Amino acid sequence: MRSLDAGCSVPVPHLADAHILPSLPVFHLSRKVTSVVPESCLLILLGLGLGGIVLAVAKKPKYQLEPNMFFLFLLPPIVLDSGYFMPSRLFFDNIGAILTYAVVGTLWNSFTTGTALWGLHQAGLMADPGVEAGLMDFLLFGSLISAVDPVAVLAVFEEVHVNETLFIIVFGESLLNDAVTVVLYKVFNSFVELGPAHIHATDYVKGVASFFLVSLGGTAVGLLFAFLLALITRFTKRVRIIEPLFVFLLAYVAYLAAEMVSLSAILAVTFCGICCKKYVEANISQKSRTTVKYTMKTLASSSETIIFMFLGMSAVDTSKWAWDTALVLGTLFFILLFRAVGVVLQTYVLNRFRLIPLDRIDQVVMSYGGLRGAVAFALVILLDEAKVKAKDYFVATTIVVVFFTVIVQGLTIKPLVTWLKVKRSDHHKPTLNEELHEHAFDHILAAVEDIVGHHGYHYWRDKWEQFDKKYLSQLLMRKSAYKLRDEIWDVYYKLNIRDAISFVDQGGHVLSAAKLALPSMPSRTSMSESSVTNLLRESGSGACLDLQVIDTVRSRRDKEDAAMHHVLRGSLYKPRRRYKASYSRHFISPDKQERQDKEIFRQNMKRRLETFKSTKHNVCSSKSKARLKEKGRKKKNISLPSDAPNGRTHRNVPWQEAAPVLVTVSSDEEESDSSETEREDDEGIVFVARATDEVLQGKTTPGSLDVCPSPCIIPPSPTLAEKELPWKGDQADLAVYVSSETTKIVPVDMQKAWNQSISSLESIASPPGIETGAQHRRFARPMLEKQPQSASQATPEQVSRFQFPSHISKSSRSKSDSSPEGAEQQELQPLMGTEEQGRGLPPAEHRRLAFSRASHI
Amino acid sequence: MGSAQSVPPEMRALAERTGFTSEQIEQLHRRFKQLNHNRKTIRKEDFDTIPDLEFNPIRARIVHAFFDKRNLRKAPAGLAEEINFEDFLTIMSYFRPIEMDMDEERLESFRKEKLKFLFHMYDADYDGIITLQEYKNVLDELMSGNPHLEKESLRAIAEGAMLEAASACMARTGPDEVYEGITFEDFLKVWKGIDIETKMHVRFLTMEAIAHCY
Repeated sequence: MRSLDAGCSVPVPHLADAHILPSLPVFHLSRKVTSVVPESCLLILLGLGLGGIVLAVAKKPKYQLEPNMFFLFLLPPIVLDSGYFMPSRLFFDNIGAILTYAVVGTLWNSFTTGTALWGLHQAGLMADPGVEAGLMDFLLFGSLISAVDPVAVLAVFEEVHVNETLFIIVFGESLLNDAVTVVLYKVFNSFVELGPAHIHATDYVKGVASFFLVSLGGTAVGLLFAFLLALITRFTKRVRIIEPLFVFLLAYVAYLAAEMVSLSAILAVTFCGICCKKYVEANISQKSRTTVKYTMKTLASSSETIIFMFLGMSAVDTSKWAWDTALVLGTLFFILLFRAVGVVLQTYVLNRFRLIPLDRIDQVVMSYGGLRGAVAFALVILLDEAKVKAKDYFVATTIVVVFFTVIVQGLTIKPLVTWLKVKRSDHHKPTLNEELHEHAFDHILAAVEDIVGHHGYHYWRDKWEQFDKKYLSQLLMRKSAYKLRDEIWDVYYKLNIRDAISFVDQGGHVLSAAKLALPSMPSRTSMSESSVTNLLRESGSGACLDLQVIDTVRSRRDKEDAAMHHVLRGSLYKPRRRYKASYSRHFISPDKQERQDKEIFRQNMKRRLETFKSTKHNVCSSKSKARLKEKGRKKKNISLPSDAPNGRTHRNVPWQEAAPVLVTVSSDEEESDSSETEREDDEGIVFVARATDEVLQGKTTPGSLDVCPSPCIIPPSPTLAEKELPWKGDQADLAVYVSSETTKIVPVDMQKAWNQSISSLESIASPPGIETGAQHRRFARPMLEKQPQSASQATPEQVSRFQFPSHISKSSRSKSDSSPEGAEQQELQPLMGTEEQGRGLPPAEHRRLAFSRASHI
Repeated sequence: MGSAQSVPPEMRALAERTGFTSEQIEQLHRRFKQLNHNRKTIRKEDFDTIPDLEFNPIRARIVHAFFDKRNLRKAPAGLAEEINFEDFLTIMSYFRPIEMDMDEERLESFRKEKLKFLFHMYDADYDGIITLQEYKNVLDELMSGNPHLEKESLRAIAEGAMLEAASACMARTGPDEVYEGITFEDFLKVWKGIDIETKMHVRFLTMEAIAHCY
């Protein structure tokens, strides 16, 4: 088997990658080319060209495709990707056919090709005397040349879009035949080394036994690691950031482990990927899911690119070539012939058992789609020249075969598929109805099998699903995930996300389903809106999408909302903002918190706001109506593109919760001069930092927006306290705030950076007008200026502050009792903390809990 | 009739009508007798004796479909009390796999027949329309295996699915138009993406399996 020892050759080729990789997008750019020529062909040709240049410049061929590099680094990502994203249902539906083609087909191909070539040699047709090879050598060659290559198949078939059954059979075969190839290769290699004279009958038996050992062992290793992986991700709730790491790490460890004990590593990774996916996806967070998906795809396509490039570049090295026309042509002819014969024979047998037979066209595509690729090349390079005399001939032949299959067959398979009118697959997104029906359908089929009394495929699948539901999922999934685990629900959830994304993309106007007028549907007259998400929102379930929720809330209760906003803005503007921020944040990630929590949170929130509003309304009745309207409008427009110039664009992001602390804060500062409303739905990660930020902001508002008597914030006594505080500039100021509760989240050095970014932005982007002054005031803290303002607005704030005396008294922070910011923060936070967690704990403690938890996300 | 099928011409007629081979018919008949304890007809209660069926969430609905007169091609509505072997075969024939030599037209009608069966399963009140309530009921049964899903979410899903069906089937709806429910034509559209003819089938021919299946 492949040895694991040489890793040192890696750095050199990887240096070259840096230059090569950018060429990939170029192909993507020119659609016309790629619609005709598969990417793999282009890459090989490009590799040939590059190899030629290198040869011309360096006078000697460099950058070979090293087998070890290939097997250790390039192959695993591709196999993992294909395993992880394998449509498992389809795969297991066709597992019988796949296994037949993979095992019987590969065996057939190896033996017939090897024997036929040997016959050709015996017949004296191979003129070149250098071809010194016996039957064993040819069988060895046959074994490595006969395996269909997953990389090549994937590269070509992904672009062809044949129907899914055909695809899964060819592709599944190419993945699973690895075990056969590896075993055959190893067995024949040892036979060649032993010499034909020393082979005993027991060796053959051993060979057969080792096949089962290697394939089943590899699968077992894969399953073991899939289990481990699922189990680990169950307990990563607090360390979300390393979830993707675990996925990659354990899959790779599975590969290495299998490789180390000479089991089939490809099988191990494939099955690890197939089996862990369901549980891992349920356990990890949405963010991690996205990360895993994109990282995996990126790694796989990078590897693929590198492999094909290097195949091209390796071919330039003519020193390894030893050409024998008869061998090359013979091999080409035989692999095509025997593949076709093998497919036809096997399909004939299979069709007797398959309920849906594979027709002739399928068979043509299957035999023609048997592409050879880098695996064969790497295996032939690994041959020991001392033992296999004709290695150079084999290398040359392999290169020709790979090039022929990838380029010629790859080029022609698409026209062939079109010409034969092979049933194509229409790639459409799953719809809720389809999922529902299919779900019901599975039960129906299982039931009918029960009634007929035949324990067929559906029966066993049903049994497996029951077992999975009862034991495996319980063991491997988080409780919260397990509870919600349901395919229909999943699809529903995904559709909602899709709707939300398109909703946002279209500037927040159109829902895919929203255009439809269903409100008049008799049974749902209570619905005032018809978006799917709105339905969901009404149903009070937690899988709702924040953005849409917010939006529907708005459109629904526009007036009420506007009024409330106005009220809150006047007396206690921040809580509203904060409320919004957390609101969206918790909706975004249903797996972050249990739904029950959210339920409580929301209800609590509603109730609180209700009371809040009623109390506040009395306090600040002095607001101008014009202001109210304006604010209301602003709020309504909040998701419209017109807000984008204000740095608003990142608002679409929050529900992805992707922004790191520093970035958001700085962007926040950028927009600090724009309308206040922007703040209210920023992402949650930052919100501790934001808390201080908002407090600061609160001070500026009175200066800038004097129409509104609001920000209040500064009662008389606090100003005194403020004076006493060690304001040494923003640094100290922020330190006070941040340290009070954010230290857990934002490390000290980051705080500094944060401050710096704030101040730099301040100086760079300080807008003209009053606001500028206000803004500067806020950071430079000219106390004198502030005092009059605060004095003038003291009264309303004080009244409002007394609404929550208990919170103030509970606070343990140094500044809180005396400073306005502290007071205000307190008013904000109970809203946050308690609601989030339920009512059990005292607010002050609670807040901390909530925040630290948020920080882990 | 249940006992008559051993006569070759009877059998041939049955085979002709349902598309089963005589071997399969024999097979199914054995199972039929096993289920109804050698009576001539089969009743709903007989299905209760099948142990594996117990865990099926939509079991009642499936059993119901066996007695649905629409599926038996006898009447446009109503429920049969008991069915004989021929009816049993008729129902079973909905689950036949496609055959190699089927042409486009037959394939299409085959597909429609299968879908009709499914449609009837949803449409409980024989009015040719799957209303939201009917959809919800199915969903309710379907999800009964998951106690953690609340009724509310079920409702939401049903409504979401209904909306989706409506959006797929009524592209040109005006704001005041009412989507009553899924008609069979709409149902066909909903199923367009799924190759029902390649999926809705059961293997009927395995002798030994029946022997130890009580």
